[in-house]
Amino acid sequence: MTDQETLQELMDKADVRQYDCYQCGKCSGGCPMADAMDLKPRGVMRCAQVGSLNRILNSNTIWLCTGCYACVDRCPHDVNVPALIEEARYEAARRGIWRRDSEVLNKVFVANLKMFGRNHEMVLAGLYNVLALKPAQDAQSVPHMMSKKLIGIRPHSIKENGELAKLIERAESWDKLASAPQEVKK
Amino acid sequence: MIRYAYFPGCASESTALSTTLANNFVFGRIGIDLVEIKDWNCCGATSAHTLSEPLGLALPARSLAWAEKNLPELDVVTGCASCYARLKLTNYRVRQDESARYMVEKIIEAPYEAKREVYNFLDILSPADVRGRIEEQIVRRFKNLKAACYYGCLNIRPAEVTGAKDRENPQAMDELARLTGAEPVDWGFKTECCGAAHQNDAAFETRPLARRILENARACGADVILTACPMCQLNLEMRQAEYARKRKDEKRGKASFPLLDVVLPPPEKETIPVLSITELLALSMGAGSGRLRLDVHHVPVSGVLSKGFRDENESEVMI
Ligand code: SF4
Ligand code: SF4
Repeated sequence: MTDQETLQELMDKADVRQYDCYQCGKCSGGCPMADAMDLKPRGVMRCAQVGSLNRILNSNTIWLCTGCYACVDRCPHDVNVPALIEEARYEAARRGIWRRDSEVLNKVFVANLKMFGRNHEMVLAGLYNVLALKPAQDAQSVPHMMSKKLIGIRPHSIKENGELAKLIERAESWDKLASAPQEVKK
Repeated sequence: MIRYAYFPGCASESTALSTTLANNFVFGRIGIDLVEIKDWNCCGATSAHTLSEPLGLALPARSLAWAEKNLPELDVVTGCASCYARLKLTNYRVRQDESARYMVEKIIEAPYEAKREVYNFLDILSPADVRGRIEEQIVRRFKNLKAACYYGCLNIRPAEVTGAKDRENPQAMDELARLTGAEPVDWGFKTECCGAAHQNDAAFETRPLARRILENARACGADVILTACPMCQLNLEMRQAEYARKRKDEKRGKASFPLLDVVLPPPEKETIPVLSITELLALSMGAGSGRLRLDVHHVPVSGVLSKGFRDENESEVMI
């Protein structure tokens, strides 16, 4: 598949059309993460219009968008930019293009779920800090949390965590299954 | 008795201790019975759907399907905006899209038809009869307490999923706060994202989001920020010492040592207390700060309590 076709497929999945966007910039104006993005929401739409898929896949935008939907709400044409951003992120992951910190966090998160079924913010933060080599991030809050027993040594785990781990594996392999059409079409 | 199937969310077991105590107190008083979904699992929050759509839908669906089977006559409620967004979206997608439902049922290996609604606390506390019950239970009202009601993005958006009518200036929490005597302020960041979703993996990039919210609330004269989500709560509260230090550093043009935050907490005027809406209601219903474990807050809430209360006859109440 050419990049052009891939881009069209991502847009179809996100239900976003190039010609819906008239580059007014309201999305970027209200986006809380715009300052940190190297391609702002309007830029994502511009790239979609001119067909530069690579620029989107290599932007930090697809990893920094918080999914707050402020842009969709304010867009005069209800263009669902975060849906396109999400599809682009899946495509980037399929091609092995990752933002390192996001990869570490999200993989640690899911690994944690496989083990315990639930997550504890601070257990997650602790593991992330070690693996992402950021030992001091938020460290100043740890004494308070420990002394108030807000964070324990072990996270609670659910009873059927073995079954949940299998569920997660089925979900993770779904994308591969789905590409075999007879599996999904009922 | 009003009953709901209850999805507590992971934060309820750790960082949101005081909010959980307040929830139990308030819902007990007003006679809303929250029946916990048995063996519920994490909704996947931001991470699951960041990695894969099937995972992002299947994780909430497992708990929802249990509720649908075992508590078929109950709607689902959760106290966390992130859980709410994921549960509600799963419900919405399964209803809208036959292939999404097929996928979800295959992955969770259970039937799931999304027959019931998903609500957040603001939804279930707002109907007129519930407001009446709250009013009956209120024994003392705050004096001169200005509150900035912070709804967060995911309690409100995306509108097509949540059905929220006013996404820029919602009123549900403001009205609940008024019942306690607090005066809601007009301010600009009610539904602006606080960045909690990326507070670990993009810590540097999301800091300004929380900081802008805190500074706008202060500038609009608020004494306290009210939240309806333990993630927003933690994110707005935890790093206030850091922001105060940064403001100081920016003024004098050089950086000070980060550990200063622990040994030398910032002066009270540099921070703003953050309480959940249920904590405010519980206080007004007579719960003591010890019982609610308000000591677990990162920013001391003494500023809120020292405002004092008055009873129905407008006379001072001792706490
Ligand atoms: S707000 Fe909508 S129309 Fe305007 S630039 Fe953004 S996506 Fe395009
Ligand atoms: S959904 Fe993403 S792109 Fe849109 S305003 Fe929020 S952070 Fe920005």
